[in-house]
Formats: sequence, structure tokens, C-alpha cells
Amino acid sequence: MREFFYFFETFFNNAIFYYAISVMTSYVILIFLSAIEMNAYMKKNSYVNYREILVSPLVPSVSILAPAYNEEATIIENIRSLLSLHYNNYEVIIINDGSKDNTFQRMFDYYQLEKVNFAVDYQIKCHEIRGVYKSKLPSFSKLTVVDKLNGGKSDALNAGINVSGKELILCIDVDCIVQEDALLKLAKPYLEEKYQVIASGGVVRIANSCKVEDGKLVEVNMPKNIWPRFQVLEYIRAFLMGRMAWSRLNGLLIISGAMGLFVKDIVIKVGGYDDKTVGEDMELVVRMRRYMYEQDRRFKVVYIPDPLCWTEAPADLKILGRQRNRWTRGTIETLWMHKDLFFNPRYGVLGLLSYPYWFFFEWLAPVIEFLGITIFIALAIMGNINWEFSLILISMVYFFSIALSTIAILFEEMSYQQYTKGGDLVKLLLVAFLEPIFYHPFTIYWAMRGNIDKFLGRKAWGNMTRKGFKEEKNKEGTTPHTVT
Amino acid sequence: MSFFNPAFTYIREIFTERLPYFPANIRACLFIILFCVVAIVELYIYIALRRINQYKKKSQEKKWKAHIHNMLANLVIYDESDDTDEIIEHFFPRLQKLPLHIPIVKKILITEILTYHKNFIGKPAELLSLLYVKLHLDQRSREKVKNKNWEVKIEGIREANEMEVGEMADDIIKYTDDENALLRMEAQAAYIKLSPKDPFRFLDRAQERILDWHQLVLFEIITKDKKLQIPSFSKWLRSSNDTVVMLCLKLIDHFMQFDAAEEVERLLKHHNTKIVKKAIEIIGKLELESAEKHMFEVYFDQPLEIKTEILNAIGRISSGRYSDFLSSRIYSDNYKIKREALYAIKRSADLGEAKLREIYRQTSLENQAIINHVLDSRIKS
Repeated sequence: MREFFYFFETFFNNAIFYYAISVMTSYVILIFLSAIEMNAYMKKNSYVNYREILVSPLVPSVSILAPAYNEEATIIENIRSLLSLHYNNYEVIIINDGSKDNTFQRMFDYYQLEKVNFAVDYQIKCHEIRGVYKSKLPSFSKLTVVDKLNGGKSDALNAGINVSGKELILCIDVDCIVQEDALLKLAKPYLEEKYQVIASGGVVRIANSCKVEDGKLVEVNMPKNIWPRFQVLEYIRAFLMGRMAWSRLNGLLIISGAMGLFVKDIVIKVGGYDDKTVGEDMELVVRMRRYMYEQDRRFKVVYIPDPLCWTEAPADLKILGRQRNRWTRGTIETLWMHKDLFFNPRYGVLGLLSYPYWFFFEWLAPVIEFLGITIFIALAIMGNINWEFSLILISMVYFFSIALSTIAILFEEMSYQQYTKGGDLVKLLLVAFLEPIFYHPFTIYWAMRGNIDKFLGRKAWGNMTRKGFKEEKNKEGTTPHTVT
Repeated sequence: MSFFNPAFTYIREIFTERLPYFPANIRACLFIILFCVVAIVELYIYIALRRINQYKKKSQEKKWKAHIHNMLANLVIYDESDDTDEIIEHFFPRLQKLPLHIPIVKKILITEILTYHKNFIGKPAELLSLLYVKLHLDQRSREKVKNKNWEVKIEGIREANEMEVGEMADDIIKYTDDENALLRMEAQAAYIKLSPKDPFRFLDRAQERILDWHQLVLFEIITKDKKLQIPSFSKWLRSSNDTVVMLCLKLIDHFMQFDAAEEVERLLKHHNTKIVKKAIEIIGKLELESAEKHMFEVYFDQPLEIKTEILNAIGRISSGRYSDFLSSRIYSDNYKIKREALYAIKRSADLGEAKLREIYRQTSLENQAIINHVLDSRIKS
């Protein structure tokens, strides 16, 4: 029995060690690739004067698609913000996805909507569209409101695509704060790459505790609540390191659901968003990529490091848990739906690199970590643990994780430096020390819950209650908002 | 401190005495830990120093910017009646006194002169140009253009462009077809401005692609510069470089160059679908009736996007000769073809809407819905 435990412990230590080393190696490679990509992007765009081309008639036309479900509290301000973006050729399509509150009525009254005789071309399947509305006021001529039966986010976006009359579609969460020049920056890759760009995304940032005026971000602050603060670091790491590196490799599998720009024709050809998965953003990109491979067409999916979209992160553990649970289920669903991509050379980087990476390091990592912790506890209870070796192993992972986060903070400092206050920087650096101990275990737990829920067939989206903008009078008497 | 002593002793022992006796993977872990700790400390120091330097640089910049800004602000009060030499004599010694050996001061001075020059015309702009030359800043721009580094070259080109140093046009033209797309575009943009006699000479020799983004930037420069002599862009429609053809088509479209009609019509046979589509769009906008027959003949062999563009163009031309053809498109299986044909009928002179109402009475419910859509002026086509 003693020999068995010794053998098991050695095997366990080695397995964890080699897995950790492979994950860490992949991160180091991603850091280098990301640094190269960021540097190239910053150099290339330091010469661009976006002001000069604000009203150019040659920019590709864009439809902004924003599904709204029970958004009565903020919908007017959100639409106003979308209508004031700096871009010449765009329309805003708000899809009221069968809201149970007064979302539609508020839009109808404020924007003086009237029903138009819009003949919808149902190129993609979606629930019945009850009506298409336009404003009577010329100043809101860019606005179109689609009223439809409730069918979920994917279904609402598909309805929006059917109504869209432009070349590109920007799919966003209606409550996001979009930077004024976001469209120009997101559309630029479509005009300058050698190969066709089929999708582009920008960095999503956390808006909690930031000051917002008239739907525009006016002051960036570090969230006061610790949970969004952890997410700030997590987002910086994921966007500035992970996605930039994958963009370099042209192996991106996901464009954030909060904001992504796509070529409409290709989205239609692949059948639009899939309403059977809760990871619709990732699944669409994978399907678009595989379509391009199957058509033997060269293409790119691009990520740009500019902070273009600010979103309110869940400040409550329960809601955060639901979100992460859904992300995990979305990942599993996408990987399962496209399982034939696994190490399939026909799909190039997608089959040989991106898919296996997501399989081993995104989906499997929390599962292995969970098993590792469980076995560790079991062995410890039975007194069959070499505490010194285990402590060294855990310390390695801990310090590597801090180093990784610190490099991400450095990237942020060297690129857009959103947190200009010294105190915010110190907080961010401190979070890097706390995150592996106080936050990471929760993410493993939520991921495991996601796995279990998936295998038990639970399909709920999970209610994402947001606190929204809280009005605060400042000294000058104006009323900026703070995302609480 | 006594609390930490045993920990320090333990860590020291691990790395100095016990290390060779650990299994290989534990030794590797210890090396990684050591590497990470050193990296974290270095990163922290670097981030802190970077912030401190940034703060210092900012305050230095602020100080010099305010100073230079004040000096240059006095220049803009002069008008044509004031004596140029006198003003230069007054300002030059003052600007010369600036510590231009400090790179940041020189950089701020150049940036400020460039900004002022961009925002003012007439006397102030002339004075700024003279001071720029007198301070030998033009030489610096020239040196930059000759630098090996493409980023420095771009800086030099931008300075020359803004300060309108026309003599540098010959140095710049060689970069208008450079492999580096950014340098190429900057050079093209500058050449247009610096070579008033023949601003589009670079199009004759352009082998490299003019990316869509660069076309957009060039388009803005060309269409907004009132002083620029606009040639007939049809001259380049036979270029072997598709991107040159595309840029010229966009400019023909903007300047409504009717003299290009024949060359534009010839492009209906071009191998590049994008060029064909743009040519059809221009044919429609210029209402070239002569091209209608040609478009009708090629219609049936075209992809959807070209077909809809042809329908659109026929609608714009609205000669009435192809109204039966347009009406018959309503039997197409494709929604876009139907809608575009109906829009084309609507555009066909004054009788368009009446014709649509006539079709409405005889057609299916689906088509009636599309006709209602087309007739609804609140929906943009």
C-alpha cells in the first residue's frame, strides 16, 4: 500500500508539474507574440489622424446591432450614445427582444417612432418580427427599432442582421459604453489588410467606478469593489496578452460578445448566430473561420488593443459565478460542435493550434486544477503528501501567475495607460498578488459548475442583473454618472 | 524581524545547500520561482521608474510648451501690411535663444510650429515657414527623410509636407512606391502637396498596392485641397495596378468627370469585380445612357452584387428603354434583385411610382410587401 501511494504521489507530482510547465510555456510564447503585435500596431497607428477622416464617404457602411431586453432604465441614454459615434456611414438598429418592461414604449415615446413598411428578407432564421420602426425626427434618421418576439440574444442579433442594410455589422451589448472613434478604429483593418478581414474586435474594459456623462466615459477609475477589480486585471491579461497574440497568429477563436465587427455577407452565409449555444460569440467566429477554410479563401480575424468598449462587470459573486458558468458551457458547446477541427490540418492554424489550445488550456485547465486540488487534499488527509515538494510546486505556479499579471500591467502601462492615477496602479499591482489566492479558486469552482451543468443538460443563460449608472452631483452641479 | 529569520534561513538553505539533492522537477520549479521573483522585482522597479520619468518629462514638456506657445502666439497677430523682415528680426533671436540642443525642446518647437502652420493661413503661415527655414529645421527634416529608419523618414516627410518645403518633392517621390505601406502612403500624400506642377506623377510609376485605407486618406487630401489642379483621372484607368484604377474611379466619381465616360465603360470587362462594380456605379451617377445596352448585355453572366449594381445604374439613367427588363426582375427568386429592380423602377422618371402601383395590383403578397417597402420614403434604399 505504501509503495502504491508513493508511486501515485510521484505520478501526481510529475503530471501536475509537466502540465503546469506546458501551460506556462504557452503563456510565455503568447507574451512574446503579443508584444510583437502590440508594438507593430502602436507603430502603425501612431501616424493615423482619425480626425481627418471622420466624415470620409469611403469608409465601409456599418449597422450597429444592439439587442435590448428589459433595458427601460438606460435605453434612451444608451441609444443617444450610439447615435453620437464619429463615423460617416452607419445606422443603429435596436432590437427589442420581447422585453417585459417598458423598453419599447420608452423608445417609442422619446424617439417619436412610427411603424414603417419594412419588408424583411429572412435570410437567417429568427423569431417573428412584429414591426420595424423609424423616428419621425430627422435628427434620429440613423435609428431603426425592431420589435420582435422574445428569442434570446442570438435570435435578436439574427433579426437585426435580416434588417441591416450595410456591409459590416457591429454586434454590441446595448449597455456598453462605446468610445466615439471605435467604429473608425474597428473598420480600419478591413481597409488595410492584404487578405479579407472577416471579423474584428477591440479591447473590452471594466467601467465600474468610472465616471460617465451623457453615455460617454469621462474619467477612468479603478473599481472600488474588489471583485470588479480582480476582473480588471483578468481583462487586461486576456485582451492585451492573449487575444493580441492570437491575432498575430491569425488564430483568434473569439471576438467578445460585448463588441465585434463582422462582414455581414459571411455571417449570413454561415447562417448567423446559433441560438442553441450560450457561447454564441465564440461559436460564430469558429463557424466563420471554418467556412473560409472550406472555401479556400485567405482571411484574417483581427484584434486591436485600443480600449473601445467599457462594460459593467458583475460586482456580485453570485452574478459573476453565473457569467463564468455560462462562459464555460459556451466553450464546451463550441468545442463539441466543432470537434472535427481537433488537430485537423485542413483547417490550418484553427485546427492545429487554436482548437487544441482551447481544448487543453482553456477548457481542460480548470478541470485539471480542480482534480489536482482534490487529490492533493485527499493525499494530505491520508498523510501521504510531501509538503515541501508540494509547497515548492504551488509557489512556482503562484509566482509565475504574479509575473504574468505584472507583465500584463506593463503592457497596459506602455500602451494606453488607462489608469493614470498612481494609487490605481498600486492597487492593480497589489491585485496581482491577491488574485491567485482569493479570486482564482472561485473561477475554478465556477468553471467546474459550468462543466457539471453542461453534462446535466442545464441550458439557462443566467440572469445578469446590472446595477447601472448611479447619478452623482459633482461640485460644479452637473450630473455625471458613476457605474457602481 | 525575528519572525522572518527562520523563513530566510530556510530559503537560503534550499538554494545554497539542498538544491543538488532535490529531484529534477523540483529543482526546475525552484529555478522558475527564482526567475519569477527576480522578474517581478525588476518589473516593479521598471514600472515605478517609468512613471517617475513620465512625470518628469510631462512637467518639462508642459513648461517648454507653454513658453514656446506664448512666443509663437505673438506671431499670429500680424497681417499682410506688416513688414516680414522686421518681424523675423524680432522673433528669430528669441527663438534662437531656446536651448535647442535639448531634444525635447527642439521637438516641442517643431511640433508647435507645425500645429500653428496647420491652423493659420496668410501672413502668420508665411512667417512660420520663414522661421522654420531660418532655424535650419528644414535641414533637419531633410536629414530625417534620408534616415535609414522608416519611422524617422515618415517624421521628416510629415514635417516637409506641413511646412510645404517644395524642394523636397524630388527626395520624396522615390518613397511613393516603397515596399513599406506606411512610408509609401505618407510619401504619396506629401508628394501631392509638394509638387503642384505634377502632383499625380507617382501614379504613373505605382507598382505597389494603394491600400483601401490609403485611398481613403489620399481621397480626403485630394478632395479637400482647393489649390490642387485636378487632372482627368481617366488617364490612369488603363493602369496595370488595380488599386490605382480604383482610386481614380473614386475621384472620377467625386469630381463627376464626364470626359472619363468612355474609359469607365470599357471597365465593364475588367477582371476585377470591385472595379466593375465601381464603374457601374459611376455609369449610373453620370447617367451614361450610352452604357445602358452594354450593361444589359453583360447582366446575366454577373454575380449578384454586380447585378444589383446594374439594376441601380439603369434606374438612375432612367431612359425607359429597359423598364420591361426591370419589371421582369420581380419574378427573380432573389429578394435583393427584386428590391433593387423595384427601386430602379421607382427612380424611372415621374411615372416610376405609378408603374409600381400597377405592378402591385397584379403581383404576389410577398412582392406587394417589397413594393410597400420601396414606396415608403422613410426607409432609405
